[in-house]
Amino acid sequence: MKKLVLLSIFVASLFTSCASDDDNQSENVPTQVEAPADYTFTRNNETTVKFTGQTTRIFMAEEIITAFKSVDDQTQESLQAMFAHQEGAEDFSDPELNASGKSVRSKTAASSDYFSANATEATEIKAMFDNYISIQTTEVFDNWSTVAAPGVAGQIADGSSTRYVGANGLEYNQAFAKGLIGAFVTDQILNNYLSPSVLDGGDNVSNNDSDVTDGDNNYTTMEHKWDEAYGYLFGGVPEESQSNPLPTIGDNDSFLNKYVGKTNSDPDFNTIAQDIFDAFKLGRAAIVAKNYQVRDEQAAILQQKISEVIAIRAVYYLQTGKSSIESGDFGAAFHDLSEGYGFLTSLRFTRDTENGTSIFTKSEVDGFISDLMNDGPNGLWGVTPATLDAISNEIASRFSFTVAQAASSN
Amino acid sequence: MKAVAFDYFCRKLNMKKNIIYVLFCFLAFVSACGEDDTSDSQPTDSYDRGALLLNWADNIIIPRYDNFATSLNTLVTTSQSFADSPSSSSLEEVRASWLTAYSAFQKVSMFEIGRAETLNYRNRLNVYPTNTSEIDGYISSNTWNLELPSTIDSQGFPALDYLLYGLGTDQETLDKYTTDENASSYTMYLLDLVTTMQTLTNEVISDWENGYRETYITNTSSSASGAVDQTVNAFLFYYEKALRAGKVGIPAGVFSETSLPQNVESFHNQFVSKLLLTQALSATVSFFNGEGATADFPSNGFSLNSYLEALNTVKNGSDLSTLINDQFQVAFSKIELLDDNFIEQITNDNTKMLQAYDELQRNVILMKVDMLQALSIDVNYIDADGD
Repeated sequence: MKKLVLLSIFVASLFTSCASDDDNQSENVPTQVEAPADYTFTRNNETTVKFTGQTTRIFMAEEIITAFKSVDDQTQESLQAMFAHQEGAEDFSDPELNASGKSVRSKTAASSDYFSANATEATEIKAMFDNYISIQTTEVFDNWSTVAAPGVAGQIADGSSTRYVGANGLEYNQAFAKGLIGAFVTDQILNNYLSPSVLDGGDNVSNNDSDVTDGDNNYTTMEHKWDEAYGYLFGGVPEESQSNPLPTIGDNDSFLNKYVGKTNSDPDFNTIAQDIFDAFKLGRAAIVAKNYQVRDEQAAILQQKISEVIAIRAVYYLQTGKSSIESGDFGAAFHDLSEGYGFLTSLRFTRDTENGTSIFTKSEVDGFISDLMNDGPNGLWGVTPATLDAISNEIASRFSFTVAQAASSN
Repeated sequence: MKAVAFDYFCRKLNMKKNIIYVLFCFLAFVSACGEDDTSDSQPTDSYDRGALLLNWADNIIIPRYDNFATSLNTLVTTSQSFADSPSSSSLEEVRASWLTAYSAFQKVSMFEIGRAETLNYRNRLNVYPTNTSEIDGYISSNTWNLELPSTIDSQGFPALDYLLYGLGTDQETLDKYTTDENASSYTMYLLDLVTTMQTLTNEVISDWENGYRETYITNTSSSASGAVDQTVNAFLFYYEKALRAGKVGIPAGVFSETSLPQNVESFHNQFVSKLLLTQALSATVSFFNGEGATADFPSNGFSLNSYLEALNTVKNGSDLSTLINDQFQVAFSKIELLDDNFIEQITNDNTKMLQAYDELQRNVILMKVDMLQALSIDVNYIDADGD
């Protein structure tokens, strides 16, 4: 049955390529787009690329996830203030972040396509992250020097590392960090900045067509929107390398950059970082060339590949967690499954490029989490290999990779 | 099923006469066939895994644990005597029994399977560098809980190293246990350290004696859950991470910008780092060759070495088992050139440390790649996530 689905996807893609072949033969030849060697774009010899806002938000998120484990220095109030930062508040160690009017929470579950008319779910998702902060600073902080047991929050050993888990075995800092990769980073890229609703909003198309720049800036608004998508993946890269960021992929943040890097280091997916970078480059060049068909084709590639990264990492952590459960190593298992928990919640922000909605519905994602946490009365303490396999199989069935490919080396 | 689907897809495409797609189909079809083939292959060989496991359990692992337990009992006894009547002579007895036990521990540390694995045994006994400020805090507050995973860097042999050698001159050390305002806390901490090590070790031994041995020697399956696969994985993990990296590579700076002499094993008693490394490597080699406590044990000599010989495993024209044993000897010869005191060695001539590391590393390749391939064993560990 799965093969039939795959087959029909193949056949469908075949027709798509035939259709575009036909287009190329018609009179109406679109402007040819050539991607530059790296992500460098200029107007009047000045760069048109800017995404400092994304860099700021990534750095804020980094400080928050570090603070999640600062039991001696943080409270629920201080962590919540970092998450929902207000301009000028002394929430961060970096004064530039304190001075900023941006926050991570305001861009969590906040994409134009998924949430502009879905305040109900956006509020629910923001509350989920608020709740992680609440549980971490009460249940987990209060039991910082307790040995964890089923139903008892505390410490558990994972090799030479110590993990701090809730009564259900969940590391809330992992659920928070890996959850943000979906709700914050991926949602903003896929469902906001790469969406025609944002790229083509207002007078963006006519302004871009006529090279009308955005106020005093050297970029058109459409160019800038695309760069902001790029910035959510590469905003943590040192400025001098931002136009050529692949050599350090995986090392530049704890969020999507890190996990594109990790996915790419698996031989089964070792072109995915290059594919993503190339699509960003060509799509941006297409905006300069005013070729919106090529732009949207590249956006679709990005939406597909980044969705795959989320799904591959979800399956990877469920499967490594499964091996550790089987060998009785709960500490290692809980760490992996907590990362997996975060990536599962992130599946909600993936995007089916055909219909522009999530590859997984809200109720499917809620179902995965419920399955993961409810094999026994104490959450991850009772999860079974069969449950982990069932979720893994269901995720992989929506993509062209197998559970085995996702589970293999790193 | 997979092949049929591809075949159908390819025929559809053939009609389009698109040479590139045809090539793609052909490659995809070939690789699909390849996958099917490998999934069917189940390695089998005639080597007596039961005899091997019997030699490992009864002639190597359990005798080594028993030997270690005996040395730990002595350490507990001498520590108790020291606590009862601290003097320079009773201090020397604790120190001597610490070194004997530390040496015996080097022979069991590679067997992190069964109860040892679930106890996180190696980490409970030998995480270094030890956290001296944390230990000082526990002692001054007279509060600690060695069961907490976050205290693994404040217990075991390295914590004892600090308490026996890191508190100043011999007289200053004695003062800590006699006239210091926290003297009773120092004494209690010392005793808690040694009894915790004893309790953990007895738990591991008791598990072997009460059922795990039987499970182990009959678990001859050549799968990831088989006892051979698990033992070999534990052994290689130990060799790669604890011996090669922990004792040599990390302090020599192989994994950092600069060398880290403060990370040597036995930092406070600086003169035994080489001794501990040599004993660990000897124990590694004798395990590889199946040399047990009793030479006339029926399957003495059943080992990774004899397994590779039975399979006639050859690399570049030489027996792999010979290559590995020869490489161990090269590593020994490089270690022989090192100062007993690794801090001195790293500070004065780190090149020799790096050379020893390189020779140890060569056997990671020979064992983890060539040996595991010959034995059809998959590596079950990966480098930690780092977060």
